[in-house]
Amino acid sequence: MRTIVDRPTDNADLGPSVAGRGASWAGVPQHVPKKSARNGNFADRRCACIQWQDSTAGLVQYAIEGTYMPMGHTATAQAGSGGLTATEHRLANGLRVILSEDHLTPVAAVCLWYDVGSRHEVKGRTGLAHLFEHLMFQGSAQVHGNGHFELVQGAGGSLNGTTSFERTNYFETMPAHQLELALWLEADRMGSLLTALDDESMENQRDVVKNERRQRYDNVPYGTAFEKLTALMYPEGHPYHHTPIGSMADLDAATLEDARAFFRTYYAPNNAVLSVVGDIDPEQTLAWVEKYFGSIPGHDGKQPPRDGSLPDVIGGELREVVEEEVPARALMAAYRLPSDGTREADAADLALTVLGGGESSRLHNRLVRRDQTAVAAGFGLLRLAGAPSLGWLDVKTSGGVEVPQIEAAVDEELARFAAEGPTDEEMERAQAQLEREWLDRLGTVAGRADELCRYAVLFGDPQLALTAVGRVLEITAEEVQAVAKARLRPDNRAVLVYEPLAAAADADAQEDQQEGADQ
Amino acid sequence: MTDTAATTGQNADATGKAAGVTSEMQFHPQPQAGPATPWAFPAPERGALPNGLTVLRCHRPGQQLVAVEIFLAAPLEAEPQNLDGVATIMSRAFTEGTDKHSAEEFAAELERCGATLDAFADHPGVRVSLEVPVSRLPKALGLLADALRAPAFADGEIERLVRNRLDEIPHEAANPSRRAAKQLSKELFPASLRMSRPRQGTEETVKNIDSAAVRAFYEAHVRPATATAVVVGDLDGTDLDAVLADTLGEWTGNTAEPRPMTPITADDTGRVVIVDRPGAVQTQLLIGRIGADRHDRLWPAQVLGTYCLGGTLTSRLDRVLREEKGYTYGVRAFGQVLRSAADGTGAAMLAISGSVDTESTGPALDDLWKVLRTLAAEGLTDAERDVAVQNLVGVAPLKYETASAVAGTLADQVEQQLPDDFQAQLYAKLAQTGTVEATAAVVNAFPVDRLVTVLVGDASQIAEPVRALNIGEVTVVTG
Repeated sequence: MRTIVDRPTDNADLGPSVAGRGASWAGVPQHVPKKSARNGNFADRRCACIQWQDSTAGLVQYAIEGTYMPMGHTATAQAGSGGLTATEHRLANGLRVILSEDHLTPVAAVCLWYDVGSRHEVKGRTGLAHLFEHLMFQGSAQVHGNGHFELVQGAGGSLNGTTSFERTNYFETMPAHQLELALWLEADRMGSLLTALDDESMENQRDVVKNERRQRYDNVPYGTAFEKLTALMYPEGHPYHHTPIGSMADLDAATLEDARAFFRTYYAPNNAVLSVVGDIDPEQTLAWVEKYFGSIPGHDGKQPPRDGSLPDVIGGELREVVEEEVPARALMAAYRLPSDGTREADAADLALTVLGGGESSRLHNRLVRRDQTAVAAGFGLLRLAGAPSLGWLDVKTSGGVEVPQIEAAVDEELARFAAEGPTDEEMERAQAQLEREWLDRLGTVAGRADELCRYAVLFGDPQLALTAVGRVLEITAEEVQAVAKARLRPDNRAVLVYEPLAAAADADAQEDQQEGADQ
Repeated sequence: MTDTAATTGQNADATGKAAGVTSEMQFHPQPQAGPATPWAFPAPERGALPNGLTVLRCHRPGQQLVAVEIFLAAPLEAEPQNLDGVATIMSRAFTEGTDKHSAEEFAAELERCGATLDAFADHPGVRVSLEVPVSRLPKALGLLADALRAPAFADGEIERLVRNRLDEIPHEAANPSRRAAKQLSKELFPASLRMSRPRQGTEETVKNIDSAAVRAFYEAHVRPATATAVVVGDLDGTDLDAVLADTLGEWTGNTAEPRPMTPITADDTGRVVIVDRPGAVQTQLLIGRIGADRHDRLWPAQVLGTYCLGGTLTSRLDRVLREEKGYTYGVRAFGQVLRSAADGTGAAMLAISGSVDTESTGPALDDLWKVLRTLAAEGLTDAERDVAVQNLVGVAPLKYETASAVAGTLADQVEQQLPDDFQAQLYAKLAQTGTVEATAAVVNAFPVDRLVTVLVGDASQIAEPVRALNIGEVTVVTG
């Protein structure tokens, strides 16, 4: 359940991969998207990505949805680093490099994190980091047009790029013998993107991104809920007030010169971390990295992002009621939670898991099983390093149930949890679930490469990725109770209520009569 | 390899600092691939338990998270009349209590193992998927066995699942891609075929389902003799025979004759159905028909050709619709097996799917048809074919890095009555498939005058431009 970690990210390239298509978070959360997604589309219903979504308490991850992005596995049963190791290096131009050997399968993952995300954007240019990420796939000095895609896929690799509040990542998973190609490609665009960037790509990708926004946000029920919650939760002017997709007006306003300036400011070796994980020879890999990236000059044009810190609690409930054409009433809320990288964040993760992660959680048992007032109920955590994290409650009501009834039950469960804390058995279950999710992520070469970059960029130490599971297992029930008591309170949340338009509700009911259900 | 500085950077129009940056970077020629490490799709070991349960096992070193897939020969076609959805409710009810645990206890026990368990019903049958760290495999497999052997199907739980399912239906109807899929099935298949109707039932049929109906379906169609278990992961250190004997081995049942399947037929007369969504900012496209499944010798060529048409961002459709015109975030062509059997009664859904902004709907469909016509007229190029083969074959080790991916494919093969080495052979056949065969297969798969087009979008905006395209009669339905 942990994760909506990458929920607010936007993909550059692959367009609607199977993960994004069916199991929209706009649909019914919890276990439902997994089952229905498999049955509901003619797309690859058994893509591993769907497994991934199911572990997110319905708060579907769009982020890492490359075509063959392998999810889940090689999890080691033991806690701690599970025998995984990583070494760190730094080139003279400032590029940090992390290598991790794993010879189980002849594949290698390359992951490059640039320390720039939507939090670095300025007013009037929301969405620029993500639009720029698309432009990174439009060619560079030695790579023409869509050559980056063609070469990687032609080599039997998969690739993608995503943008979140705090970073932009690019990744390739390659058959091990094609590793050098991926390094060459990443270096080419890091060093020479602007030689290829032109108006034609800019105009084309602007249209693609606007269609991405329509497809994933504007044309699906509840599609803009996350954007609304974020705007409520982080005040006007706060770097996290807007989401990475940006607004249509700002996407229209972005210029080629904005894109160039963005590259000159943020795309430098000393503002990036490169990880290479899998069936690699570390010495050879490092030599390749030096060869291709070593001559790219570093520069220091970057300004630090605006301060994202906020008081621990909001101090009063924020609320917005949306009347829209949606299939059912919904109660959503964002709770202000401790920043990532702290014990308190791990404790909050466990608290949200006990309360709203999976089918043995308190909210599921209360609302879906016992009261039968909700079709689905869950909690997700968006971990953020540069601002308070966000705990996302999502409840879709059953039949004619009114929101206040749901809200009272949620408040009662949260208050009870704060007063009593988790039981030993709940702690055991929540830790087992989070352990599996962590080991899943670290168990594939691509997942491990991404986590190593994450801890290097956001916390300065990639080794923390390998010990993350151990930290979750060290958290005590008292810590979980303490964070629930301090943070999961009505005066520390932004509430978003969805009320269907009366006419729409009637029309939908009629249509169902005529057409039957979806399949 | 000689290092040569490229000159492209110095000639470009990037100004100021950027030009300075590129001029300092030392460029190198594109590297060549190293020697490939041989990789083969894993071969499972096939056996059976005394109760008749077929078992496929596959040891994958290092895969500490074990994947178990169960296939139950309980096809949707076997659902009684007016009870569409009973297989779905049964599948969900497997995890809602057994003779040893209540529904809440069962969910709690499973999560205590760090396991996930999912079950769903589809045309070929029911699939149950378990993932669990290998150290807790015996316990989780015990819970799974209980669920199959002695599901409680308590009245209260079934009533709740039915209500929950009824609540989901409006959410699905509201989702443009789900709505399009539902409409396409209704259009393509004769009303007599189960496939024409929603897999998980309609409001009219789901409300008829009760615990007696679920139990009757279970008793008629669920038994170890017609089920298969696939177990994949690092099985060193696990006495799998002993674990299976103590868990799934305890499941008993009679035998049954294989159920004959109704051949799949479809009406693919070229036509357009617009599902009206006033005010929609995009149009969801779903353009499809049925065609060859994995038992057909054309399957590898069809896979290859379909990939060239719409497998990725650099395939023909997205090259125009996305990367040239910017009409869409992406359009994909694919073939997905609906149901498949050795006797040839099966079929695959062949379709093109994506969404385009409302204003571009007419131009996008026009371009899409042009892409299809050009493909039919000129065929694929050898270069396209080569890249597609390299991708489809080359990604195999990535795609099957995890135990669950391997287990899923093995179970698909079982479900489709394919030999256990089908996937391994497919890679060999793809590599042998030529440009001409791939062209013929994809052109036959997507003939321009035999495609049923479903558009979920604003009819007042899109109907007229779509009629002007002459791609078939256009009708508009509500919702």
